[in-house]
Amino acid sequence: MKKAVFLLPVFFAIAAPTFAALGAAEESVGADEQKFLPTQTTMSERGAYRLHEMTRGDGSVVREYVNGQGKVFGVSWKGPVLPDLSQLLGAHFAAFRDNAHQKAGRRRMAIVHSGDLVVESAGHPRAFFGRAYLNSMLPAGVTQETVQ
Amino acid sequence: MRRVRWARSAAAAAAIALAIGLAGCGGGDGSSSSSESSTTTPPPVNNVQPITVDAGPASLPAADANVDVAFTTVIVCVPGTSTCQSIDHVIVDTGSTGLRLLGSVLTLNLPASTTSTGAPLGNCVQYADNTYQWGPVAAADIKLAGEVASSVPIQIAGASGFPPAPSACSAGGTPADTVIDLGANGLLGVGLFRQDCGSACTSAATNPGLYFGCGPFGCSATTVSLSQQLRNPVWMFPQDNNGLMISLPAVGANGQATVAGNMYFGIGTQSNNVVSSAAKAQASDDYGNFTTTYNGVAYDQSFIDSGSNGLYFLTTTQTGLPDCGVQAPGFYCPTSPASFSAINSGPNPSGSGPTVSENVAFSVANALTLFNSPFTAFNNLAGENAGAFDWGLPFFFGRPVFIGIESQVSAVGVGPYWAY
Repeated sequence: MKKAVFLLPVFFAIAAPTFAALGAAEESVGADEQKFLPTQTTMSERGAYRLHEMTRGDGSVVREYVNGQGKVFGVSWKGPVLPDLSQLLGAHFAAFRDNAHQKAGRRRMAIVHSGDLVVESAGHPRAFFGRAYLNSMLPAGVTQETVQ
Repeated sequence: MRRVRWARSAAAAAAIALAIGLAGCGGGDGSSSSSESSTTTPPPVNNVQPITVDAGPASLPAADANVDVAFTTVIVCVPGTSTCQSIDHVIVDTGSTGLRLLGSVLTLNLPASTTSTGAPLGNCVQYADNTYQWGPVAAADIKLAGEVASSVPIQIAGASGFPPAPSACSAGGTPADTVIDLGANGLLGVGLFRQDCGSACTSAATNPGLYFGCGPFGCSATTVSLSQQLRNPVWMFPQDNNGLMISLPAVGANGQATVAGNMYFGIGTQSNNVVSSAAKAQASDDYGNFTTTYNGVAYDQSFIDSGSNGLYFLTTTQTGLPDCGVQAPGFYCPTSPASFSAINSGPNPSGSGPTVSENVAFSVANALTLFNSPFTAFNNLAGENAGAFDWGLPFFFGRPVFIGIESQVSAVGVGPYWAY
């Protein structure tokens, strides 16, 4: 523990600009914004969680859901193109990528259940949508259906 | 986010009235509603393009064989010349727009497209599983049956020597630009739209970033005119350009080794592409989606896509079907075939009358059993798709499906619409 406490500030100093959202601290939403380049951002308190919403002129929307511990427990996306999922899923991207596509179903939808992680990516060119969440981080009284 | 497309209703009705005398005119410029042309109708050409459902290109290893993928053979030529190449096993995809050929397969030297400032033009398409195709845009004449689409921008996916995909294209994902990764030599997008992007890509304010100008420092997103974009080659034909029909015969519950069918170009333009009076025509929205209702719940981001190799719908929780597990995650594996039905609905593409609905019955078999079969065509292969129905290739077996291209007119209405 002591080592981790000592190392964390150093790690953040180096990696903060690219540190991504899902499962990470709320500050990481800023890094996602830098990548997504929204034309409008909003933040709203929703009782058990806080919602960050980024909107772009092409109609793309990314939402990030933050729990009472200040951690991003869910992200969702919708729009004509996919957002950078490696950015949005962060440390959980590898688990998604490794399970998302397979030759039995090339170019199909992707639904990944990997331990605590659920990722659903759907749609087609011009109309993609999807979401990802961490079951263990859902605030009390908040269901998976909140992440939309 | 979703826009309702009722404003066009009156225009649609007027355009249909005009079109009855104008079928076969137009030709890619979209001017059918304003044309007063009295030019003679061009002589009919062969509008029947064969389709095959099989394992895929000969160069594809058996372990990577396809199931439920429809292929056709495309002839591409250097524009205006007889220097041509015939490319087999190009996927017939109603879910995207434009022709994409693998750089590793294409041997023709096609003229490259550039931005308005002369930079090489790159194009991107993404798929929901986080794969993508990236490559330069070049012009080609595209020949399908007796039809020719002249000097059409196409994508050369994975072209050697072209800069790598920008991160906005790859979105963290993996490329599908080899025969093994794509499972094909190319992909023919003959969906509901005229261009792959449309007007969104013509303005910086709305540009989703499918086109990129490339230079020594990499590629950056650029706006492009409609004419610079990848286009639905059917819309570019001089005739039979208001849509197409895909016809695949029915297959049995155990599948079939291979299936042979056809694409018919045009809707109501020749005796072989008339929409039967029993068929239901339903408009899609501006995104290519319509509503599928299952168990009383409406899923308004549903679509028909010959390029999806199964019926992808909802989740294990919603369907009660078990997942196949580690051998085929995301596919359904019921112990015995399960029957389902759902209702597809959308506005009448004629622009008037009530919502048009059609009940669709289907069956779901054990996907692992199907994958272990030597066959390649199944009407009951299905998997998960959270929040929507993706009516993939199984939907097409035994059901002629018409695809009405956006703003193009036929006797049933104005595209984008489906009729089946």
